[in-house]
Amino acid sequence: MAPIHSAMSSLRDQIASCEAQLQDLRSQLAEAESHREPSHIMSFEHLSHDMDTGVPDDIRAEVLSALCQSKDVEHPTKTWPLEKHEYKRYGRQLIMPEIGLQGQLRLKASSVLIVGVGGLGCPAAAYLAGAGIGTIGLVDEDTVEESNLHRQILHSTGKVGMTKVKSAIDYLSSLNPNVRYVPYLSRLGPDTALETFQSYDVVLDCTDNPASRYLISDTCVLLGKPLVSASALRTEGQLMVLNNPPRPSGDTQGGPCYRCVFPKPPPAESVVSCGDGGILGPVVGVMGVLQALEAIKIIAKGIEQPSLSTDVMETDGMATCNGGKPQSTTIEPPSLLLFSAYSNPSFRSIKLRGRKPKCTACSTHATVTCNALIAGSLDYEEFCGAVTPINALSPKERISADNYARIRTGANPFTGTKASSDSHVLVDVREKVQFDLCNLEGSLNIPFSVVSGTPIPPMNGNDGQTPEERWISQLRNLPEKKPIFVVCKLGNDSQLTVRKMKELGLDDDGKRWIGDIKGGLKAWRENVDPDFPEY
Amino acid sequence: MTSVKPPPGHFALLYFAAASDFTKRNAETIPAPVRAIELFQVLDQRYPGIKNKVLSSCAVTVNLQYVDLDGDDAADKELVIKEGDEVAIIPPVSSG
Repeated sequence: MAPIHSAMSSLRDQIASCEAQLQDLRSQLAEAESHREPSHIMSFEHLSHDMDTGVPDDIRAEVLSALCQSKDVEHPTKTWPLEKHEYKRYGRQLIMPEIGLQGQLRLKASSVLIVGVGGLGCPAAAYLAGAGIGTIGLVDEDTVEESNLHRQILHSTGKVGMTKVKSAIDYLSSLNPNVRYVPYLSRLGPDTALETFQSYDVVLDCTDNPASRYLISDTCVLLGKPLVSASALRTEGQLMVLNNPPRPSGDTQGGPCYRCVFPKPPPAESVVSCGDGGILGPVVGVMGVLQALEAIKIIAKGIEQPSLSTDVMETDGMATCNGGKPQSTTIEPPSLLLFSAYSNPSFRSIKLRGRKPKCTACSTHATVTCNALIAGSLDYEEFCGAVTPINALSPKERISADNYARIRTGANPFTGTKASSDSHVLVDVREKVQFDLCNLEGSLNIPFSVVSGTPIPPMNGNDGQTPEERWISQLRNLPEKKPIFVVCKLGNDSQLTVRKMKELGLDDDGKRWIGDIKGGLKAWRENVDPDFPEY
Repeated sequence: MTSVKPPPGHFALLYFAAASDFTKRNAETIPAPVRAIELFQVLDQRYPGIKNKVLSSCAVTVNLQYVDLDGDDAADKELVIKEGDEVAIIPPVSSG
């Protein structure tokens, strides 16, 4: 491994150095060309004092055209640093001092990798493509689903079922065909991250899970890439620019990484996806747009080349042209921007600390290395804890959606008695807002958040001091033996609820049957009632 | 969630994301002073289980500054939350 690594590292250094040199040459050329222009105009200067003498303009035109024709023979073809159409397309940002010609040349020479082409990645990619980034890489293994469309603005109704990467490139190519788009259709893993990130200048983390966030941050630290990380859920979003400046591990002047800010991953069972928790389109859209903005700011300002040592940078700074030099002194201090759509103020900017002295990725104590990453010894799924499918109940405590349907409509397969609406209680543990969307007739809503928030009284029973929660008394007061069926969206929370009900003694020492409907309302829709809404 | 002005002798505590799910509130005021390193214990008494289920992975900020409370040699382990401070509990959000 070692020789390959030193060869790789040497090649990386050479590429970075050549790229820096190329960028510098481009700037020098642009600078030189901008100086040549006035001397060309100078040749007409002897006419300037005649301008006010009352010569009619048509005569002046004749004189000028005669002069120009005679000069045409030796007049060299003018080459501009940008293509003609680019001045027009990017004109509105070109005239801003924050971008200018130099900034646009940097955007054009740059490459950005967007990991995740969903709610964050779509708006980010659209603005980066619009701004004229040279190369945009897009990583995602998913296909477009109908439930993506309210927020993932590059995908449209006709693209459902297409890969997100292809759908995005279709849209982006028609938005700006001058950008090179690179598709990556497989999931980013520790085995592919280094080679995927290698040739990019800036990385955008637009993913949706903790394991990817740590992997992306680690890879950016190892390769010296600035990382623009954002996330969103429900009505809130977070944004951070990490590893900027992208100094090597152990250099305290480098920007903090994701591990510096969040050293411990959240417990796996507490991680909520947009599918479970919900997401408002404009909330995630705002965060993606801000990612594009931060990437543009970083690139237009000039990225510090991580492989150049500081003294090379300093001596180089003496060169006549300062256009190609990154203004590393003006890098903004690290911050965490919080967006909370229903709060006032809706934006809060948190000042972050620098690199954490014992960070496992970017400090002198780093255990995250290229070798460890490639060898697979960094198990991100394990670090973040895998969510194992819940299997809390025995088969006797569960009933299929089919069989439950028979209990509702026909004879009870266990007792042979005719069904009646009063024969049992169906408890739906989805949150109220979901219950109000659609529910099975006669069901009782006890939200899972209420169930899980109910403490289990001590073994010696309720001391009578704390009154029992209303939902418990309601179920406890049901006629003896009336079975309780529990249902939820997918069949996980229902199992945990059955467990909890039994711990609370609602099964009356086994005299009352309590169980859940396997697969929840999803199974109900698939096996019993196809008209039951899917959301 | 609107900026909370804590009454005398209190500090304001803001809950984001999973922290506001768990506590079922966006903000509250808590008697000051509290040593920053003991904040999680104080909250676990109010909301049993919150320390392990939510707080252990959260960032904590005091007056819009990130505070480092992680480990024995944490940079801000001597910090005391004072009357009138604004403290925020920020869980990592990973979806997008």
